[in-house]
Amino acid sequence: MNPDEFEKHLQRQPLRQVPSEWRAEILQAATSARPSSLDPLARRSGAKAARPSLLSTILWPNAKAWAGLGCVWILIFALHIASRGNSPMLAQVSAPESANMMITLKDREQTLVELMGNNSPAKDADKPRRLDPQPRSERPGTTAMA
Amino acid sequence: MPDKSDLQRLYDEHAQALFAFLLNFTRDENDTRDLLQEIFSRLAREPGLLRGAREARAFLIRLAHNAAIDLIRRRGTRQKYHDQLAEEESYIFAVAKDADEAAFRESLSRALAGLPADQRAVVHLKLWENLTFEQIAETLDISPNTAASRYRYGLDKLREHLRPLYEEIK
Repeated sequence: MNPDEFEKHLQRQPLRQVPSEWRAEILQAATSARPSSLDPLARRSGAKAARPSLLSTILWPNAKAWAGLGCVWILIFALHIASRGNSPMLAQVSAPESANMMITLKDREQTLVELMGNNSPAKDADKPRRLDPQPRSERPGTTAMA
Repeated sequence: MPDKSDLQRLYDEHAQALFAFLLNFTRDENDTRDLLQEIFSRLAREPGLLRGAREARAFLIRLAHNAAIDLIRRRGTRQKYHDQLAEEESYIFAVAKDADEAAFRESLSRALAGLPADQRAVVHLKLWENLTFEQIAETLDISPNTAASRYRYGLDKLREHLRPLYEEIK
């Protein structure tokens, strides 16, 4: 087989024609993709959108996570505002109660001291344990067991 | 920026060549249409895209080749399926009236589909765009030696595959 003849034969094979209906469709799509075909307002907003924004660069990859975090933060802020409005009233209400409770506790403590006297076992119990200086082998209990 | 008449002129001058190249490269008519539209949309969008190009045809084929490679990369794992598809369909030649010629074109289309895409691109540009190896090298961003060797390997495979049919119709 002569290579040149083979190549020439391949070259003579006519290629398929591009479908004629594609021309209008592709040109129309290309024309509509041109920035000049947009109205000025859309073009301006498009240019603004195309401008790289640091904020959008940071937020866009995790947009949902950031939105969720924002919602949670707003909720916490709202709760904080609401609770701050109530807090003086709560303090006013709770203050006398805690004063009464302190008086009652002091009374009970006084009664307990009177009942138990000065040598209370609680004080003994609070004493630190004395460490045995002898080695374990010389302790009386250990010798008895051996 | 090319206006509408410029785009029409570019389409009329180059769409056929781009269509044939893309159809041979992708072996899929829908992909070919999408890529062709992508190229002309880009030409419409980007001012002066062709301004620095020495040869518009070579530049557009380079755009087409890069766009086709991007498409294949985007598909990633689906490439295997795509390769399989390439061997099954999309005859790139016109329908022949003569039965022998029709059989030869069908076999040639299948044989081309069986080539690796890089060899297929070089063979196409050499045989049907009549580009030199230097031009092919510039278009596909490879060395002229690589272009020549890919062409030789590709042509050898086509010759081997088509020998019986070619001997018959010669």
